[in-house]
Amino acid sequence: MVIGDYLLAGLVAMLTGLDRVALVQVMISRPLVAAPLTGWLLGHPMVGLEVGMLLELLWLGRLPVGAAIPPDDTQVAIGATVLTLSVGPMLGLHGMPFVILAVLIAIPLGKFGQVFDRLARHVNDRLAVSGERALAAGRTRVMERYHLLGLASFSLASLATALVIVLVGSLILYEAAPFLIGAVRKAGLSLQYSLILVGAASLLGTINVNRSISLFCAAFTGTLLVLWLR
Amino acid sequence: MKENRLSSLTLLRMYLRSFLLQASWNFEKLQNLGFVYLILPGLHSLYGDEIPAEVCKRHGGYFNTHPYFAPLVAGTILRLEARSLAGEDLAVDAETYKSMVMAPFAAMGDALFWGGVRPLAALVGLLVASQGSLWAPVVFLVLFNLPHLVSRGSGLLLGALQELRAIETVQKCRLPDLAIRLKESTTILIGVLCAYLSFKGCEHQSLSVVWGFALLPVVLLFAWMAHKGVTSLFLVLLTTSSLLLLALVF
Repeated sequence: MVIGDYLLAGLVAMLTGLDRVALVQVMISRPLVAAPLTGWLLGHPMVGLEVGMLLELLWLGRLPVGAAIPPDDTQVAIGATVLTLSVGPMLGLHGMPFVILAVLIAIPLGKFGQVFDRLARHVNDRLAVSGERALAAGRTRVMERYHLLGLASFSLASLATALVIVLVGSLILYEAAPFLIGAVRKAGLSLQYSLILVGAASLLGTINVNRSISLFCAAFTGTLLVLWLR
Repeated sequence: MKENRLSSLTLLRMYLRSFLLQASWNFEKLQNLGFVYLILPGLHSLYGDEIPAEVCKRHGGYFNTHPYFAPLVAGTILRLEARSLAGEDLAVDAETYKSMVMAPFAAMGDALFWGGVRPLAALVGLLVASQGSLWAPVVFLVLFNLPHLVSRGSGLLLGALQELRAIETVQKCRLPDLAIRLKESTTILIGVLCAYLSFKGCEHQSLSVVWGFALLPVVLLFAWMAHKGVTSLFLVLLTTSSLLLLALVF
């Protein structure tokens, strides 16, 4: 990856980060979209799709309600895609095992997203006070400016999260990848599926609807039987 | 005062501004500036360039609702403002209406969009992605955003045209029931996805598909743990470290 690629990834991190709360919310911030978009812009959309698949369900059950701030799965997805495409070639590692390793390193770093997001909202507290003051004085244009300034704090928080994931993740990957890649290759498909299944189980556990267990069991059994007997 | 009806252009500007409702989301008053930003074109069409300070201040207080339902609240508020400006006696004033409806709309929107439409669209997208198709993100975005964009637009029109009766119209749509149906569909799709992955896993390891059923109690155990508050991060660390240890030992 060249400098331009990192800048492009940073731009995607800021735009998709804004989509999480502050701007539009058309869900380009979901890992299933953000990671393939990053991969596509960096010339490897399939790597992005693989990352997106592994991460999509993990925190989907954590609702962005009120003051609740879920871990930043958007930047985890973008960060893992960038890590795969930047560190992988340097170490001579590629393919699904390295994608899984990059995702596993990036996941815990998503916690930083919560810290930066909280910080951005505290900055917005000050903007809101200034905005209210302008409003009380009837200066609506000024209030609008304070309101739109909030976009800057959210996008900077996203960029900071992506930076931490890529920088810290690169350091960890350089050190750990040579030792861990063998075990990841050996665990292979089970490791890949386990990430999706943990996400599915987390979603099932938080979906909060009657009969969810019986519906899940019936769908699971029925589908497996059909696939087996076809 | 300029006019007491909202023009199409004003409504369009409000629709576009609704996408910026949460730009300055803050812990203190949540969407307060965003709501004023959303209704400003409407207030300008009612009051002209100089909006009275007390009107601005009135709408700048605490506000928190689901972002996709905010245009509906905004449309109704502006109709109430227009009637108040025309000197009509109102059963409910704009401020009272706002405080009455924001929480119920927030709860309804959270259940419908965050709890219903989004997981369902994501699972359909994931099933498409599991076939290695790059159309998966597009499928997800289309499935999610059709109801999203329609909800914003129709909500704004409903509020602006029907005013307080908009609540009855929304009630008739039985959105909480729809949210439950969507969640049930999501649960079924989770079952389909898990079974598919289980089948592919057995196929890959050249095992009998009967072994695939062993995954059912594992997923149920993890779902129970998640329900009890165990975080996804802990579950990921637990499973991956166990699998990596097994791979290193055997």
